[in-house]
Amino acid sequence: MDNSNKIKPLSEKLAASLIKNESPSDLKKSEIFDAEIESQILSNIKESTYSELLNDIDAKEDWKPLKRKIKKRSKKALRFWSYGVAASLVLLISLAFVFNKTDQDIEFGTPVIVNNNIETGTDKATLTLEDGSEVALEKGTPYQTANVTSNGEEIVYNKADKSKPNHYIAYNVLTIPRGGQFYILLSDGTKVWLNSESQLKYPVAFSTGETRQVELIYGEAYFDVSPSTEHEGAKFKVFHQSQEVEVLGTEFNIKAYKDETTISTTLVEGKVAVSTAHTNEVLEPNQQSNLDLKTNNISMAKVTDVYNIIAWKDGVFSFENKPLKEILKVLSRWYDMDVTIENTVEEEERFIGTFNKSNSLEDILIAITSTGFINTYEIKDKSLTIK
Amino acid sequence: MRGGENKLTLKSFKKLFESLYPQLCVFAYKYLNDLELSKDFVQEVFLKVWEDKITFQNDNHATGFFYKAVKNKCLNHLKSKKYKVTERYDLANIETYETEEFYMSEAVTIETTAVIEKAINKLPEKAAQVIRLSIEDYTNNEIANELSISVNTVKDHKKVAYRKLRDFLNFLTVK
Repeated sequence: MDNSNKIKPLSEKLAASLIKNESPSDLKKSEIFDAEIESQILSNIKESTYSELLNDIDAKEDWKPLKRKIKKRSKKALRFWSYGVAASLVLLISLAFVFNKTDQDIEFGTPVIVNNNIETGTDKATLTLEDGSEVALEKGTPYQTANVTSNGEEIVYNKADKSKPNHYIAYNVLTIPRGGQFYILLSDGTKVWLNSESQLKYPVAFSTGETRQVELIYGEAYFDVSPSTEHEGAKFKVFHQSQEVEVLGTEFNIKAYKDETTISTTLVEGKVAVSTAHTNEVLEPNQQSNLDLKTNNISMAKVTDVYNIIAWKDGVFSFENKPLKEILKVLSRWYDMDVTIENTVEEEERFIGTFNKSNSLEDILIAITSTGFINTYEIKDKSLTIK
Repeated sequence: MRGGENKLTLKSFKKLFESLYPQLCVFAYKYLNDLELSKDFVQEVFLKVWEDKITFQNDNHATGFFYKAVKNKCLNHLKSKKYKVTERYDLANIETYETEEFYMSEAVTIETTAVIEKAINKLPEKAAQVIRLSIEDYTNNEIANELSISVNTVKDHKKVAYRKLRDFLNFLTVK
């Protein structure tokens, strides 16, 4: 979990209590630190360990050289903005740029664009009913039957009628194409966000008291599972060909793309167990299991900022320390395009950045180009080439 | 980080710089043990934020962003090949430096100290001394002894200090 945004409010409260000679309770309340570190923080503050050093630094004096640099470079910045990155923010910083190459001169190449057919993704999906018939769901095409409603941006299954126990369970399949995303509310109240190029199979209604089961056939999904306590203790399971995840009311993300050799399950809240035919791992919040499909081994990792993993469901792509190659793979799904990187030296270059999924591809490319790590790019029909 | 509403003007950027620069330098110093290099790095982070027109949702977000960016820059430097070759590279240390615990505890310690210093610098000299000792958990009697003044004078200084800091403290706690 990234607690950076708490630094300021926490420090202000702490400073106020110390000045007023009240016992500082906010450190404990924040639950960021264990008791030992907490008392170390307090004693360092009380003993003014850093006061002298702080007071020796002259911000007004050091502002001057910075201001000169800003003025010197503002011409270049103007040029950057004239390309039209404006209202919705696109931010992409090359880590290497921030860290090592700050004084390097940035030059832009001129992108070649022929027949740009690349469009920003939208809410869309195909619903396959139990009888195999297909319904296209997209904005402006509402769809309704006795147990399901869609406005073209999301699909909602009605709560099951408990008075009529179901012996036969009908399954629906929701397929999200490249360039699509969709939100689904299952009949038990479980919320699922589906990312581009994903497929989910689920029952129209769940049998009372029995384990609730859905299948992520491929792709990426974020689950906010309705707790077992509201369903007579019925567990919730997410199946995939290679693993299953058992949950008891929780939030987590599964990434299982067809073109990747790893299935990543990241727990945000609650507790889940990930199991394969060979092994079983229990995840705590902020932990990620990575199933290697070649070896069938699960490795566990700690995730420092879960937001980077689940931001997609809120309409944001957030990359932290990701290679360009990986960023472009994510983009290729949302913008439904083929990507070629000719400049293989740069494909491993790492970036940090955030942008709205509503941005056009070109806005993002300008941000990438401005880091100085790619020369230029070409768009032709539905293909992007990084030079 | 969304939305282009809060575009930074040079004036507001200067304010942001002055409010964060000293503590970020001290924070970087904890990683680098080199104050001049720390200052350079912090200035580079500010320059980059200006050039990229990064906008912030609010002050908390801005502060968090800068601490994180400075941390990343420092860690990256410590892990860079150049550094490993030229400096004694202590692997055990870098592991500590990379923990969230180290990051957050140093950031909170330094930021809190900065807020306290800002408050104390608003006070007359004697009141400032009293408040410093009071933060160090000195009782009124001990403060009186230490400064060779009467306990009542200590109490008076405290009153003056709290009155002077009333708005500042309200501002800190109400938010």
